[in-house]
Amino acid sequence: MIEDRLLMLKFRKGSVETLARIYEKYKNDLLKLAVILSNDAGAAEDIVQDVFLNFARLAPNIKQAKNLKGYLTVAVVNQVRNHIRDCKRKNTTSLDDSDEVVSKLQRPEQWVILSEQLKLLSRAMAGIPYEQREVITLYMQGHTTFRQIAKIQNTSISTVQGRYRYGIEKLRKLLNHEVEK
Amino acid sequence: MRNADDIKRIFDEAVVETNPSKDEKILENITAAYKQTNKAQFEKIEPNVWRIIMKSRITKIAAAAVIVIAVLAGLPLLDSKQGVVLADVLAKIEQAQAFMYKMKMITTGDMMPSMPAGERLVESTVTISNSYGMKMEMTMTDANSGEKMTQQMYIIPEDEVAIMLMPSQKKYMRMEFDDDLLARMKKQNNGPREMIKQIMGCEHIELGCSVIDSIEVEGFQTTDPSFVGGAIENVDIRLWVDVENWLPVRAEMDFKMNEQMQMSCVIYDYQWDVQVDASEFEPVIPEDYTGFPTGGIMKLPSISEEAAIEGLKFLGEISGKYPKKLNFMDLMQEFEASPDREDKIENLTDAALKLQEEMEKMTEDEKIKKAMETMRLVQSISMFYMTLVQDKKDPAYYGESVGPDDADMVLLRWKVSDNQYRVIFGDLSAEDVTAEELTELETPLRE
Repeated sequence: MIEDRLLMLKFRKGSVETLARIYEKYKNDLLKLAVILSNDAGAAEDIVQDVFLNFARLAPNIKQAKNLKGYLTVAVVNQVRNHIRDCKRKNTTSLDDSDEVVSKLQRPEQWVILSEQLKLLSRAMAGIPYEQREVITLYMQGHTTFRQIAKIQNTSISTVQGRYRYGIEKLRKLLNHEVEK
Repeated sequence: MRNADDIKRIFDEAVVETNPSKDEKILENITAAYKQTNKAQFEKIEPNVWRIIMKSRITKIAAAAVIVIAVLAGLPLLDSKQGVVLADVLAKIEQAQAFMYKMKMITTGDMMPSMPAGERLVESTVTISNSYGMKMEMTMTDANSGEKMTQQMYIIPEDEVAIMLMPSQKKYMRMEFDDDLLARMKKQNNGPREMIKQIMGCEHIELGCSVIDSIEVEGFQTTDPSFVGGAIENVDIRLWVDVENWLPVRAEMDFKMNEQMQMSCVIYDYQWDVQVDASEFEPVIPEDYTGFPTGGIMKLPSISEEAAIEGLKFLGEISGKYPKKLNFMDLMQEFEASPDREDKIENLTDAALKLQEEMEKMTEDEKIKKAMETMRLVQSISMFYMTLVQDKKDPAYYGESVGPDDADMVLLRWKVSDNQYRVIFGDLSAEDVTAEELTELETPLRE
């Protein structure tokens, strides 16, 4: 945490080297988060790239020095939500409709390479409602507390705990089903 | 798949790798966006610690006071091995229980880091008593602005304190002596006695006879760099004594501290064996004066290995390297010149940034207090090194080539006995080594 505070201090003062350190430190975690939430490797790449671009552009105004990881995580979550909303508006492939988005795309100059476990997890996660998916992912991967998630989702802690419980139950079944396949 | 722990395990095992060439391209894009951000919008790098210190006029005074005391305390204790004539002079003035003199000093250049360069006149009247301590009234005049500043300084060995009154600011500062520093100060009496001891301990020549204020005098001169323990590099000291009573009549001192600062000083109007009263050495602090720093007592620098290590540790962390030299002026100039500009952000260490962030949140008073503590740390190193030089302990310092990462390299060493040296290494651990071991340890530094 102290390391992050120092990174943010330097970053806000214009250190290019620090930007590179932050990028190296968090890009993989953010990509994984975006992949699990969106179940779309291509979209995840765009989302994470956009998050870093905005982060760089907004450098002088970013005040959340105390929790760099939290700041970037929330930025990814917000971008994924926007992406899902856009997809629904354009009536294009809904992420929840597809269980193969992660693996079907062979994009030129791919940025992410997913492990088999990640592909499995993403497919299973795509089968549960988005709010539950967000709670489980942030709790499991982002080491975010229910209280923090409640703030991100603008809801009560008990609602978040409920989403987690229901989500885990569904995910367990989906993963068992995936394994059996 | 039984429970949440199994799912957590899958989360942990689900990993992402990235394509390195794409990684680079994306980082380039991000960096370009970052560089396009209006530079003026970035947070300014706050001035480094010294500049924060020197922003406040009152801190400048306090900082100067510490230096005055440090230099006074650091004056050497040298035994006479030569100079019979000077020894006679010393014997004569040591009989005086109390004496007074006046001092006029002109400084040019940067007297203190961050103070505007220019000529300054400092006039003082000093009274020294063997029983009660020292009292100094000082007026400092800035030649450019004509601005005057007065101070009264009392050193009271019995109470182990120095008190400085600043009438124009209606402030007073109470400074406590460290035991080592006090012991060192107690061993000596300031003023002309010290100067004679110093000259006696240094290479010096006799200047022959002359006349000052109708008094026939004989002169002695030293330009020995070991004067004041190497704290001042270019010295020219001349002492004139009355050939009839062997008491000093006038002393002239010229120092060139470094390229930035020169100092010319005359001590005159000596009065020997004056009658003094204890009350003259007790400062009377008017009711409307406030303490500075608020609520705090300032500690003067320590003279010890531990304090020196603490100071080196602080500087090593703040600047990522050790100072090149350990004498006062160079050390202060070097510390002040440490990076503080936007284009040098990469050079700022984490410790420097943390300190700056900490200081940004402080009140002015807290800032001053912190700055003074910081200065004390830095001055402790100089004081320690100065005493090693003065005590002829064969010190050597390698800050120019040894840094915090050079764990096994000799950073500072000095002699503790005939065949034993004390060594502070690059990682600031300290050890006793034999002369032979030291030779081996220093080989890479000589190459």
